[in-house]
Amino acid sequence: MSENVEFLGSGIFAPFKKWGTKWSLWPVHLVTACCGVELAHAYASGYDGERLGSLNYGIARQTNLIIVEGAISRKMARVLKITYEQMPDPKFVVVMGACGLKGGLFWNGYHMVRPSDVVPVDFFIPGCPPTPESLLRSIRALQEKIMSGKAETTISFDKVDLSEIEGRSSAARPPTTPKFIAPTPSIKVDVPKDVDWEFGKKLVKEFEKDLNGLYNSITITAKNRIAISAEKKNIMAIANILSKRFDHVKNVNVIDLPHENSFIVEYQVSSYSDKKLMPVVVNIYARIPRDNPRFPSLVTFWPSADYLEREMYDLFGVWFEGNPAMGERFLLAPDTPDFPLRKDRKLKEEEYCFCEVRE
Amino acid sequence: MVDLGLLGLTMQHFIDNMVSIPLIQPLIDYLLGIPVIGFVVAIILWRPMFALLIFPGLATLMTVLLFIIWFERKLTARIQWRRGPLEVLRWAEGIIQALADGLRYFFQEVIVHRDAHRPYFLQFPILIFIPVLLPLLFIPVGNIVGIRTPYALPITVAIVSLIPVFIVAIGWASNSRFAYIGTVREAFMYFAYEIPFILAVVSMILVYGTADMVTIVEKQSIPGIILNPIAALVFFISTVMATSRLPFEIPEADQEIAFGPFVEYSGIMFGLVMTIAYEKMYILSLLMSVLFLGGGNGPTIPLLGDLSAVIWMFIKTMVVMVALSFLRSIYARIRLDQALRISWTAMLQISLLAVAIGVVLNLANVV
Repeated sequence: MSENVEFLGSGIFAPFKKWGTKWSLWPVHLVTACCGVELAHAYASGYDGERLGSLNYGIARQTNLIIVEGAISRKMARVLKITYEQMPDPKFVVVMGACGLKGGLFWNGYHMVRPSDVVPVDFFIPGCPPTPESLLRSIRALQEKIMSGKAETTISFDKVDLSEIEGRSSAARPPTTPKFIAPTPSIKVDVPKDVDWEFGKKLVKEFEKDLNGLYNSITITAKNRIAISAEKKNIMAIANILSKRFDHVKNVNVIDLPHENSFIVEYQVSSYSDKKLMPVVVNIYARIPRDNPRFPSLVTFWPSADYLEREMYDLFGVWFEGNPAMGERFLLAPDTPDFPLRKDRKLKEEEYCFCEVRE
Repeated sequence: MVDLGLLGLTMQHFIDNMVSIPLIQPLIDYLLGIPVIGFVVAIILWRPMFALLIFPGLATLMTVLLFIIWFERKLTARIQWRRGPLEVLRWAEGIIQALADGLRYFFQEVIVHRDAHRPYFLQFPILIFIPVLLPLLFIPVGNIVGIRTPYALPITVAIVSLIPVFIVAIGWASNSRFAYIGTVREAFMYFAYEIPFILAVVSMILVYGTADMVTIVEKQSIPGIILNPIAALVFFISTVMATSRLPFEIPEADQEIAFGPFVEYSGIMFGLVMTIAYEKMYILSLLMSVLFLGGGNGPTIPLLGDLSAVIWMFIKTMVVMVALSFLRSIYARIRLDQALRISWTAMLQISLLAVAIGVVLNLANVV
């Protein structure tokens, strides 16, 4: 029995405490995932959770129930913990959905946390997502728990004799674990496209003149899109020339090619000051070896590349030489494993087992 | 007769000024004959004490609080095609929902966060009941009145105007970002609605030629809302602003600044501060029914005696309160600058017009 329920059931005021809390379970707004839609449905017309005296409320300080709606990532786990600690005792937690129960769809993701590791959970609601009825059922179950002091499961599943399945042919068996690392075909960033774009063709001619000897190829990939392929050692020189016409970096992107042992690093630059160049996005890219992923930082030419480069370091581990913040965690939570988006990162594998029916 | 000699007052002193209810007079006479109970009954039925304890005072205030919170949730639910609070008392449509919420708040932990100014944080929600409850002494119901004075109306308005000062102090003691924003908004709204509100009251003082509320009610053979409808309109809108109801729920906007000044309160302390707006709404509704709807005037029911005025006054007050609750479910919230523009331009102008009507009626000696 949790100490909250114990508190409600003790003392001479116990009947009042239990009755008041039973009919006044106010969930705090902490929508973390898509189960929030079902929560909204449960409290809107039709199902109307307010019939049970339960009212969605804005702030943690005045509520006594958290409904954890689905997946909790490492960063949201901190938010969940803070919200829980902000709430006055006695307080309760209900976890909704398969993600909160065992990870659900994201069961082997690098960023997942089980809510039961963070806060003491009173009830789990299975389902992906659970229906509004089952959410209201959990509130009813919580009311019962407050009154009786005992948590009882409200669902019982039929037992299945798995030994019958084992005896079948191999075709009826569950599939083997999927291989997450498939041999990737070569990724081509500059696929040429024949478009009716006079200005672009003029622009390409100007680039060819300006960047003479620095580039490998200049391609029009779509309307308003130009791709410039270059070697890593020439990138700084190209950026120096292009930064006179293009004033900001829209995006920094890294493509992981484990089977070619290389990364492709892309800078997509554009302009806010020159009206003609505003729709144009120029993609400057280069290949770097995968075992020594170092790339010159272009922060000196385009300050807007700073955060994007830090994010790429977080996710892929490409070291941008010259960026002052390299080596620090930027977006990911401190306990996330290193470089989670590299394709050779070993994911947890699914296991099927054939067990005896327990009596 | 028992003579306790309390501060030189005899029991006869209370009996002389007692609420007369012919229907239960035999019962009262019987109770007065019993030694100690008789004295208690005499004090409770003494008119000033009746005003303080029964109507419009404590007992009615508590009942109205329980009722109006439930009613507001129920009305909003009906407008949104829901049932609203129900299961807590199914045969009565869950009318004791606010009681359950109150009990839950009462037994919850009160958190005082580190940054709060601890003494003020805990004192102000209780001290605020002084300006909230004091006006009840001056509001007359028929001939039941706590204190009768020719300055009753100015005193009431002055005390009601103190409430936002306490709310600003609550926000300051909370020392949090949302509380700060809410407090500044409260201060802005305070300046915006107070001037039209006072001008509306002044125009009614001009119409009746007196500030004594008992006389005002006696003079209303025609209700004030017909004599000066513009003043009634200004008073109503000012009430909406003063009690921060939608569409002027700007200081406490829970979706954007999380209840503004009250964000850090938990447990019974939040229960106290949350009811401030409802108590203020009750007082201003009483004031509105006194000034514009004829107070306790109405067909007299002989059997009930003084209670018939109580019943009429209660009905009129509840009508005003229900109208105020209705606004919550049908309006969206408007921005602070829009509210300020409304009150500093249109409302100020029509409140000046109301004062002009008051001057004309005063000179023509209509009432």
